[in-house]
Parts: sequence; C-alpha cells; structure tokens
Amino acid sequence: MGGTQKKKFERGSATNYITRNRARKKLQLSLPDFRRLCILKGIYPHEPKHKKKVNKGSTAPRTFYLLKDIRFLLHEPIVAKFREYKIFVRKLRKAYGKTEWSAVERLKENKPTYKLDHIIKERYPSFIDALRDIDDALCMCFLFSTFARTGKCHVQTIQLCRRLTVEWMNYVIASRSLRKVFVSIKGMYYQAEVMGQLITWLVPYQFSHDHPTDVDYRVMATFTELYTTLLGFVNFRLYHSLNLVYPPKVTGEKRDVLSVQKLAALSASLARVVSTAEEDDAQLDAFPTEEKVEAREKEQMQLETQKKIFEGLKFFLNREVPRESLAFVIRSFGGEVSWDRSVCIGSTYEATDETITHQIVDRPNVDKSYINRYYIQPQWVYDCVNAKVLLPVEDYFVGVTLPPHLSPFVEEKDGDYVPPEKLKIMALQRGEKPGDDDDDEEEENDDDDDDEEDEEENEDDEDEAEEKNLKEMEKQKSQGKSLQVKVTPGKMKMENPVRLEQEEKAEEKRLAIMMMKKKEKYLYDKIMFGKKRKIREANKLAAKRKAFDDTEKAKKKKTKN
Amino acid sequence: MAAARRLKHAAVSQPGFLGLKSNVKSSELVSSRRKRVNKNKKKNWNRHSDIHDVEDFLEDIRHQERTTGGLLSEKPDDSLFFLDVEAEPVKAEKGKRRVQRPLRIDLILQHDSMVPAPKNVTAYQQPNAKKLRRIAQRAEQLAAKGVLPRRQRHLLSRRPAEKTVKKAEANNNPDRDFYAMWGEEKVTDSADPWYLQQTGKKLVQRPEKLNQKPSVLPAVEVIAPGGSYNPDFLSHQALLQEAHDVEVQKQKQEDKLQRQLAFRKEDRATEVQTIISAVAACLYEDEDEAAAPNEDEADSALGAIAVAEKKTERQRKKEKAEKMKTQQQQASRRQTERQQQLFQLRSIKSSIKQQELQTKARQMKRKARQEAQKALPRRLGKLKYAQDLEVQLSDELAASLRQLKPEGSVLKDRFKSLQKRNLIEPRERAKFKRRLKVKYVEKRAFRQIT
Repeated sequence: MGGTQKKKFERGSATNYITRNRARKKLQLSLPDFRRLCILKGIYPHEPKHKKKVNKGSTAPRTFYLLKDIRFLLHEPIVAKFREYKIFVRKLRKAYGKTEWSAVERLKENKPTYKLDHIIKERYPSFIDALRDIDDALCMCFLFSTFARTGKCHVQTIQLCRRLTVEWMNYVIASRSLRKVFVSIKGMYYQAEVMGQLITWLVPYQFSHDHPTDVDYRVMATFTELYTTLLGFVNFRLYHSLNLVYPPKVTGEKRDVLSVQKLAALSASLARVVSTAEEDDAQLDAFPTEEKVEAREKEQMQLETQKKIFEGLKFFLNREVPRESLAFVIRSFGGEVSWDRSVCIGSTYEATDETITHQIVDRPNVDKSYINRYYIQPQWVYDCVNAKVLLPVEDYFVGVTLPPHLSPFVEEKDGDYVPPEKLKIMALQRGEKPGDDDDDEEEENDDDDDDEEDEEENEDDEDEAEEKNLKEMEKQKSQGKSLQVKVTPGKMKMENPVRLEQEEKAEEKRLAIMMMKKKEKYLYDKIMFGKKRKIREANKLAAKRKAFDDTEKAKKKKTKN
Repeated sequence: MAAARRLKHAAVSQPGFLGLKSNVKSSELVSSRRKRVNKNKKKNWNRHSDIHDVEDFLEDIRHQERTTGGLLSEKPDDSLFFLDVEAEPVKAEKGKRRVQRPLRIDLILQHDSMVPAPKNVTAYQQPNAKKLRRIAQRAEQLAAKGVLPRRQRHLLSRRPAEKTVKKAEANNNPDRDFYAMWGEEKVTDSADPWYLQQTGKKLVQRPEKLNQKPSVLPAVEVIAPGGSYNPDFLSHQALLQEAHDVEVQKQKQEDKLQRQLAFRKEDRATEVQTIISAVAACLYEDEDEAAAPNEDEADSALGAIAVAEKKTERQRKKEKAEKMKTQQQQASRRQTERQQQLFQLRSIKSSIKQQELQTKARQMKRKARQEAQKALPRRLGKLKYAQDLEVQLSDELAASLRQLKPEGSVLKDRFKSLQKRNLIEPRERAKFKRRLKVKYVEKRAFRQIT
C-alpha cells in the first residue's frame, strides 16, 4: 500500500475540541481561575454532535471546549493578572507566617487588581447588544443587593450592586418605561421597555433568606462582577440619553450620603444636565396620513395615556406593605407616594395629610379612617398597572377577598380559556362599565335561580300546550273535519338587517362548503375539528370554574347562615 | 664603570692579591704607565675625578642628621651631655616583670631616621585658590546681608512635586466611575491601527462564533400564571398538575427499579418444589440409560450423512442443465417485467410519490425534533440537568401579601437558569472524600472496662 495510513482521532471533530483539563493546562491556570476566565470572557463549553469521535472512542461524560476559543483566551491580558494575584497571595501568606507586619501592609497596599472594561467593549460592541443582555445583569444585581453584609462575599460588591439597582430604578421612573408587574411566589417580575427592547427582571423579596448550600458562590460572584460593570456602563449611557446627571443627583442638592439615601428611597426627582424645556413635548412630524401612520399615532396616544394612570393621585403606604416595590411602581406611572417617617428616609408627607387619595393597607382592619381616601390592599396597584387602566377600588377594600392576581405575561390566543376576571378587565379597558358587580351577582343569584326555575317551568308548559294543539289539529285534519282555524290579523315581523346579513353570509359559507372537492373538504374538516376541540376544552374549563364558583357560593351561604 | 675600575684598583693594591693574569706581577699592575686623560673635557669630569673624601664627608653629615636630627657640632651642650648628680642607683626598681616590648610590626612601621619626610607642596596647591577665596568671602558678605545666590532662589521658588501615586482601583469598588463606552461622538480608538499592529499592542479579534448565544431560551423565564401569590383557580390547578406529573414520573422510576431488583416468587424454592426436583432427578437417572442408546443411533445416522458420495458425470451434467434452465427462466422473466413496467407507470408514479411524502414527513419530524432539542439543556459534564418546580400547595397559599412566604430562592433559580442556558455545566457541592480510612481505637481505660 502506498502512503501512510490515516490514524483515527487525528483530524476532524476530534481535533476541534479540547477537554477542560487540557485547556486549563494549556493556559497554566488553576481550575477556579480557569472557570472565572471563561465566565468573564463568555467562553462556554460545547456538546459535540458525535461524542464518541471527539472523546476518542470512550463515552465518558467530559466537558469540551472549542480549541479555537481556548486559543483566543491565550491572548487575554487578564490572564497575567490572575497569575500576579496568585503570587501576591503566596507572598502575603509567607509574610503572615513570618509575622512581618510591615511587609503585610505593603503587600496589601499594592494588591494587584484588574479591570473588565475592555472585555465589555469586546463582548458588546454596540449599545443595543448590551441592552439585549441586560436582563441577566439586572437579576444578578438585584439578587446580590439583597444579600446580608456578613463578609462571605465582598461587601463592596453588595454595595455596588445596590447602587446600580437604585440607579436603574430611578431611570425607569424618570423615563416611565415600566410596563408589567407580576407578583409571584418566587419574587416580583417587572418588565420595562427601554429603547425598543423589552427587559424582564426578577426581584426577590426582601425578607426570608436561607441561602441554599448547593449553589456555587464563586461562579455567581464572577458573573456578578461582569454584570456590575456592564450595568454601570449601560446606566451611564441611559442617563445621558435622558440628559440626566450621572452619577445621579437629587435636584438642588449636593451629592452626599444623605442625598444618596434619598435616591434609594425612590421619592426624589433627578437633576438634569441642561434644562430641557423645549424637548419635553416633542411633537410628531406631520406626514401625509396613511392608515398605518394613523394606527401608529393612535397607539402612541394610548401609550401616553397608559404611562400616566396614577397621575394626580396621592398615595400613602402603611408600614406593613413592601415599600420599595410599591414606591417604584407608583412613581413610574406618575403618582405621588409617601410613607411613615420611621420606615425610611425620604418621606414627603405624613399620614395626616388631607389630600391623600389612596392609602395602601395590608392589615385585617384599620383603626382610624379618613373620609376622603380609599383604604385598599396593595394588589390594586399591581392589577391597575397590568390592566393599564384604573380598576374599581371596591374589589380591593380592606378585608375583602381579593380577585386573583393574573399574570400579564400570558398571551391568550383565540379559543383558549380566558378567566372571567380577565374578561372583566378587558371590558373595562374598552370603556364599558361592568353591569353587575360580584356582590350584586351573589345577592341576585338566588333570585335568578328562582326566576330561571320559574321560566323553565313556564317554557315547558308552553311547549306542552303547543304540542297538544298541534296534535289536535292533525287529528282533526285526518278526520277530514275542517279545522277551526281563524284568520287573525298578522303580526309584522321586524326584519333585523344585521341578522339578515349574517344569515346571508352563513348561507354563502354553506354553499362554498358544499362545492368543495373531496380532498379539500377532508382538509377543512380536519381544521374545523381541531378548532372545535379547542373550544370544547375551553368550555370544559369554564364548566369546571363554574362548579368551583358554585361550591364557593354554597360555602359562603353556609357561613352566612 | 669608573666605580668598578676604582674598586679593582683598590683590590689590586692590597699586598697579597692575585690577579687573573698570574704571570703578571702585581707591582707592575699598579704602577705601570698610567694612561693620560684630558681633564678639560666635560666627559672626563665625571669619569676621572676622585671625590671620595667629599663623599665621605657628606655621608658622615647625612649619618649625623639621620641619627641625631642635626649636625653634632651645632647641637647645644645640654643635648649632648648631662650632669649626673643622682646617688647610687637603687636596683630594687622592679616594677613590671616583663617589659612591654613594642611589637615588631610597629617597630618596622616607625620612621628609622630623624630626618623628617619632605612635604609634597603640589598636593596642597589649588589652582585659582585666591579667586575662590574671594568668591567665598563675597558670598559670606552677601549672605550676612540677606541676599541669596540665584540657584537657591530658583530652588525655593519651585513648586513642590505633586506625588500622585495612582492606586489601582478594584473592579468592585462601590464608588467607581463609569464613562462613555459606546461613545455617542464616534471617537475612534486613539491610536492608529497600523501603529498598534507594529508595536504588538493590537488586541486579538474576537471570533464570530462567540457572539452567538449558546441557547435560544430567554434569560428570564417568567413563572406560569399558577405561580402568582394569589393565583387563579384553574392556572393553579394546572401548575399543581405539572408538579404532580413530575413526582409521578420519579415515583415510577423508583418503582421500576424496585421491581427489577425484587426477588421473584418463582425463584423461591418451597419445600414441595425441592422434593419434586429431587424425585425428578432420580427419575431422570433411570431414563438416562434408556436415552443413551437412542442418541447413539442418531449420532451414527448423522455421521453417515456427513460422509458424502462422489458425484457421477450424469449428475454433474444434470445439475448444469438445470442451472442453465433456471438462469434462462429468470432472464426471460426479467425481460417481461421490464416490458410490463411500461404499463405500470401510473402505479409506479404513485408509489414514488408516496415514498417522497414519507421522506418529507420524516424530514419535517426530524427538523422539529432538532428544534425542540435546541431548547433543551445540553449535556456538558458528568451531571444531568435537574429542573425543580416552585409551587405552593393550596393550603400554603397566602391570604395577603403580608403573609406571603416566598417559595424557592432566586439564587438557586438563577443558578439553574445559567445551567439551563448552557452557560455553565451542572455542578453540585463536592463531597468530602477521605484518602485514608479512619480507624477507631478505644482508649486504654475503656478497653479494660468493656
């Protein structure tokens, strides 16, 4: 045979991948350092399509990286910093061991550090790329800002996260970008629209923190390191796009510890770089009217009204409600909010203020009540935001069983089951006032039932009477007798034009169906079957819901009696 | 040379001296004809003049100076003589036993002549000494008045150097500064790209593949509507159903395992069964003898078939003919088939179409499955990805926001989300493995008790 034989695993996919340990040795880093580097640079392990080929015949589960990625990592200047840090640790430990305290001081002063700015610039070359990835960053920063400052993870990181999250929230308030809120058992989900991008993030509850033990803190801390840098730069750009001063300042005050805390309270307004009186009301250019443009203008108008649902309303938060979340949401839609002075710095007015329109309470009963304000539970705020319209306050009074808090992130398609609460809300959005309230319904239901029963009985009677008549008439005809039919003045049937149209359309449809070819009819039947199935399922769910409601009503009746 | 000749003369003039030339008489050597030398020439002043006496005299003077520090004739009387008026010396002056003799090295290093060493004047000479002295005096006078020289005035007027020790700022410093990274004014990189490349400072370009996201899933997946703190009845039921399904699956797996490992009833030998098997064994023993000869016969029959007979010519010819016949038949059949296929075109077409449809359907299925695969987490390491559902049971639901007890932790949720999106491989806490086994030994005291 001529030429050398081809050996296995020497070309192709086997040479494109490299195992984790090999990569680590190539870079001459320890495993935690290697992980940190991969996370910072955005190098992720890959699962090869043909594992056996890459793994040289064995099927042992190994972590594979692309060889080109690892080669790219070799050029990273941060790798040198990692090595420097390793040496620094070694020297520090020696100095501690020899109790050379002056050396320890000197080493600590010259601790090697690294910056991640060039990595951010490399991974996100444009601002929109950074905005697309900001969800993750926000979640991490919000999460870390709720950690306790015990020293397990760097306290500086926690402080930085807190600062960045406060800046972000202030930006959202200033730009009125908040769109959806969902209060779940895990935490609170928010969605905002920033520069055309929909950004969703999750904020954990402030209380109850038992840290799970099976989470790798170093990995999370590394992610947070990267994300804090990213979020900082994004904040800078966003603030500058609104002509606000960055780092943010309260209007008319110097930037000191007190004013920073006021910013964190989310009740202060931000200082601007240049007084922008002209730019506030930017008018849309007048293009020749087309249908699309009109629709878009209409949407724009709608959006503008939606952004201001709480404008003019004054809220007061009781001590037991989640202050930060509610303040954030209320202020994002133009409302004014304040709280008790003992809770937090930055409260603008007291509980005794007469002009307060709504007070948010979460206790079973309220002691002192003012006449001209509503005492409502916090879910009203969230539901209004999701519904984009002010809902009736009566359902959310103190002590009332609240309607369920629906998720705004669910998009119902045609034929899907829509819960009745959502239907009510949609009716409200369209501007129709709901005819009967729940309470009225409950009271009237008993009467309705009785009425229905009566009606049914009446109908049955009528039917029976008609049947009887018809039978008699037939009998008479068969007997050849002339019927005792009288000619009575005819009643004019009012022809409903709408109904006529509908009937015509239905007829046309039926004709078209009749004229279809066999194959096409077969397809059509299949489609209709699928649609009908959906409707059937929705009906089933509705029936279930009705059954549940009935049981609930029965229970209520029992408790009443 | 003159000195050597002089010495020779001196030696030769001794009475008993024998010169080299022994036949030559000594007297002749000395007082022979002395060569006449012209003493008026400068050359001969040095060679043929006798200055012994002068030199002796000078030597004597020098000796005196070396030893006594001056001419003896010039010294005063007191230094040379003294009047001894003391009584008989008392010998009992013992004092020190050993006289401290000075060290030899010190003795060597002392001067051995009373003549002082000459002073090197040039070493003390300074060029411009007078000028410099005058300048110094001038400066002193001015300083006394208060006027400082120019250099000092410049030094004093210089501003103190600002010591800006640029401390490297840590990345997580809470007061760190951010600047415009995606600059609105398109400021290109300050340096020329050619310069960067030539000096080796150019950063390596990031490969394009790294900009693709490793998963199509969104970063934050909102929980199902049943996860609201005050959920709608049906959505809550749906979520419970999901959690229930997951638990049922787990239970099924466990049951399956249990079933596979369970001991079957049939395998357990009861008393009756053992008796039966024993009896059957005895029976089979009897039958064995009967069965044995049958088997022998069968074996012989088989053996007979194995030994083949040789084929005859006739048989071979027959076989060949048969083979030819079958081949011809097959060929003709194939021919007719091909001809008939012309008439079967329609059915052939339909069957082809069916096959194509099938392949297309299979392709679509495969594509759909691939798309679905993309949404799943990849297997990146030893462990498999495990999803956990957060759901609160109906009796755990809170009556109000104040009484809400959060379920699950966002930290864990984020960690799992990172794993789900293939950013990190699934990891669990490392167990503590002991390399060497631990040996427990009772204390001596307790060993006695137990």
